[in-house]
Amino acid sequence: MPTLPELQRDFMQAVLEGSCAPLLGEIVAGAITPMQRLAIYANNAETNFIESLRLSYPAIRRLVGDAYFTRCAREYRAKHPSRSGDLQHVGEAFPDYWVDRHGRDEFRYLADIARLEWLYQEALTGADHAPFDLERLAAIAPAQYDGLRFRLHPCARLFASAYPALAIWEANVGSAEEPEIIDLGRGGDQLLLNRSPRGVEIQRLGDGEHAFLEQLAAGEAFAAAIGAAQLRDLDFDAAAGLQRFVRGRVIVDFSLAIARSLDR
Amino acid sequence: MPAAAGIGLRKQHHHEVLAALPKVAWFEAHSENYFSEGGPHIDCLERIRSQYPLSLHGVGLSLGSTDPLNREHLERLRRAVVRFEPALVSEHLSWSSVGGRFANDLLPLPYTEEALRQVSSRISIVQDFLGRQILVENVSSYLQFQCSQMAEWDFLAAVAARSGCGILLDINNVYVAAHNHGTDCMRYLDAVPRAAVQELHLAGHRSVSVDGRELLIDTHDGPVSEAVWSLYRDALRRYGPLPTLIEWDAQIPALPVLVAEADKANAMQRSVYADAA
Repeated sequence: MPTLPELQRDFMQAVLEGSCAPLLGEIVAGAITPMQRLAIYANNAETNFIESLRLSYPAIRRLVGDAYFTRCAREYRAKHPSRSGDLQHVGEAFPDYWVDRHGRDEFRYLADIARLEWLYQEALTGADHAPFDLERLAAIAPAQYDGLRFRLHPCARLFASAYPALAIWEANVGSAEEPEIIDLGRGGDQLLLNRSPRGVEIQRLGDGEHAFLEQLAAGEAFAAAIGAAQLRDLDFDAAAGLQRFVRGRVIVDFSLAIARSLDR
Repeated sequence: MPAAAGIGLRKQHHHEVLAALPKVAWFEAHSENYFSEGGPHIDCLERIRSQYPLSLHGVGLSLGSTDPLNREHLERLRRAVVRFEPALVSEHLSWSSVGGRFANDLLPLPYTEEALRQVSSRISIVQDFLGRQILVENVSSYLQFQCSQMAEWDFLAAVAARSGCGILLDINNVYVAAHNHGTDCMRYLDAVPRAAVQELHLAGHRSVSVDGRELLIDTHDGPVSEAVWSLYRDALRRYGPLPTLIEWDAQIPALPVLVAEADKANAMQRSVYADAA
């Protein structure tokens, strides 16, 4: 008699890899064979996984068609089986899968669309945050501004692509029967996704704004973020940018970095 | 939780539920669907909870596994319980993970002393962690293990006795398992300890043909079958009136269809109660 860990290990192999042999003698046959019985579980598990991917990646599914999506989802699952009892996590590495599969051919934009779709899910389900405390900021001496570290909303996500990703995504998540034709060469996108009480909102960013927020998201100080933004866009206006992103609830908090002494 | 019929809450119905406030006694939500930290689904469930009693029903805790309990999953469940204050919290008498890989399906346990020890001890850990009793649900099954030493109903009763958990008896699963394994539904109902049963589930199933043999699959994609309604009546006679859920998770119909199924369950509770009086 196998131990419970042995039985479960063999069962999981049958469900995920189809290798049923070690388990067949452990199952009561009855009217149908042990293999047929195991196939019901294998089929249910695969269906649950692929259905969850479909829900997270509607634009990819529409772009590649259901048959190819299902084939790719099976291949992805073989490399990235679910690591959670919560199916909503299974799509996490799907953008990387598209890089591996089509990263060097004319369909390489698919990886960017997949990344955008996953960021959308993250923005949709991230934590809420209290509004920015302007009074706290007013108490900071202007001389200390350079060292401020601003924090983005937990749902804020930055995205950049060499392709018109937003137009592609929008054309493929709607219900239009014939999505518009989009010229892949028409220019790239730098986007900010964030959640408001109305849902996930996506806005286009200029070069300077994108660099600025990227640096803040990476935990860099205000002065360093302004420097990076102005390298990309000489006209980047830090005061206007800060005001816009605080008002838009993109920047929601700050801390004051403690100056490190270099002369030890 | 009122001893009346509730319905499974699906996100397609969030806004309609909030706008129409249908006459159902309570809602049951899949715990994992509300594990995220924020967002519109969370907001909707909080608003629905302010109008109705709630049950949180999990599918992913994998109570019967032998690999370590997923502490992150458990912590998310704890947070959901704190946030939504459900009247009932339930999970399944099954397993779904080994070696960190998940099948995300309700896989069957062998009914052995070893599995009984394992699952009972994990239920106790979960109850201690959450600081409350949970209910454990019998699952539909499509196979039986040679090594099983007891009947499913005896295993379920023993799990409840050892861990102190309650029982969520899924009447459709009793029917499907009995059909698939040639066992007796009435024996199942008789063996389940009445005092431990705190909730019943009703759902639709489908019949498939495998090599000319009929097998029932628990699909939750249609109305409750007549045979399951009849078994429900038998369950009510044995256990008395109980919170009863209409589960319909795939090919989800319009909200009034679900409300009508719940009304049917309520009518059956009333008629059984009147017969008994």
